[in-house]
Amino acid sequence: MSSPGPLVRDETELGEARRRVQDLVYGLPGGDGQASFREPWELRAFALAVAAHNAGQYEWSEFQLSLIASIQQWERDGAREGSEPWSYYEHWLTALETVLAGNGLLSEADLDERTRTVLATPRNANHHEAHREPVAIDPAVR
Amino acid sequence: MSAPQKVTADHQAEIAARVKAVEAIMIEKGLMTTEAVDRLAEIYENEVGPQLGAKVVAKAWTDPEFKERLLADASKACSELGIGGLQGEDMVAVEDTDDIHHVIVCTLCSCYPWPVLGLPPNWYKMPQYRAAMVRAPRRVLREEFGYDVPESVEIRVWDSSSELRYWVLPQRPAGTEGLSEEQLAALVTRDSMIGVGAPKAAA
Repeated sequence: MSSPGPLVRDETELGEARRRVQDLVYGLPGGDGQASFREPWELRAFALAVAAHNAGQYEWSEFQLSLIASIQQWERDGAREGSEPWSYYEHWLTALETVLAGNGLLSEADLDERTRTVLATPRNANHHEAHREPVAIDPAVR
Repeated sequence: MSAPQKVTADHQAEIAARVKAVEAIMIEKGLMTTEAVDRLAEIYENEVGPQLGAKVVAKAWTDPEFKERLLADASKACSELGIGGLQGEDMVAVEDTDDIHHVIVCTLCSCYPWPVLGLPPNWYKMPQYRAAMVRAPRRVLREEFGYDVPESVEIRVWDSSSELRYWVLPQRPAGTEGLSEEQLAALVTRDSMIGVGAPKAAA
């Protein structure tokens, strides 16, 4: 393979990158390692927010305040019946949307539209048949 | 506002779509690159789930009846343990034996049984991985993954699609007779369930 395989992946570099991200999230609510990922989209949302900050789209403190605001809003609503259940990364996503919109980088209308498009497109649109036999066999030599 | 108990698959699908939409818009506007997001996600990819698959494997190693149910219908057997969700609907576990070793790939995209294995590692999503593995599985396992499958063992490569997602039930390592299910689960690696590595040896 021309791309880096698992053997050439630099674990030290990965560890370094991880420490940098940990430093970033340390001051956030839930950033002390309590908020682990349960769904792939949670990790994606997490990575998006950090990547956008790394790319200079906003100050991390803006994101932090936005996340705190979203959680506080939920806590205020929490007293009412029928409010939404706790999902840390939904607050995370809300915070990301708010910060991007606040900086004129995203409009909620565009986002709603695009979300509908994603939902209307089947996953792996051209990949729906089940493959019930091995796709390759390397025979044994005995 | 949804009721507290309504953390449904639908809701998860909706919010996953919203995350995708945010990403698509940000990439289009040149606010950052997909590679940058991938690199960040890679730091944590090991933490979304492979321990669940490890639990399933350890149970199959210790409970022959469960193993039978797992091989008959992996999705159903996993749901006994409360494991399932998006992309886990139609899973097939293929069992490694002394004579046959299995590897999973995906032809067109990165179909992957993530409720069991967690997120796919970056290399799994690369067309090169899939192409090379189909062409010369034994050589790729040895040269790219440092995993030597003896010549006397047949290698079967399974192609996951959105309809049917495979994962590998590796062989229980030798010398683990006295271990508990929990201790066994700690030996199961993500790579061993993809088929590109062996479980860890007993300590």
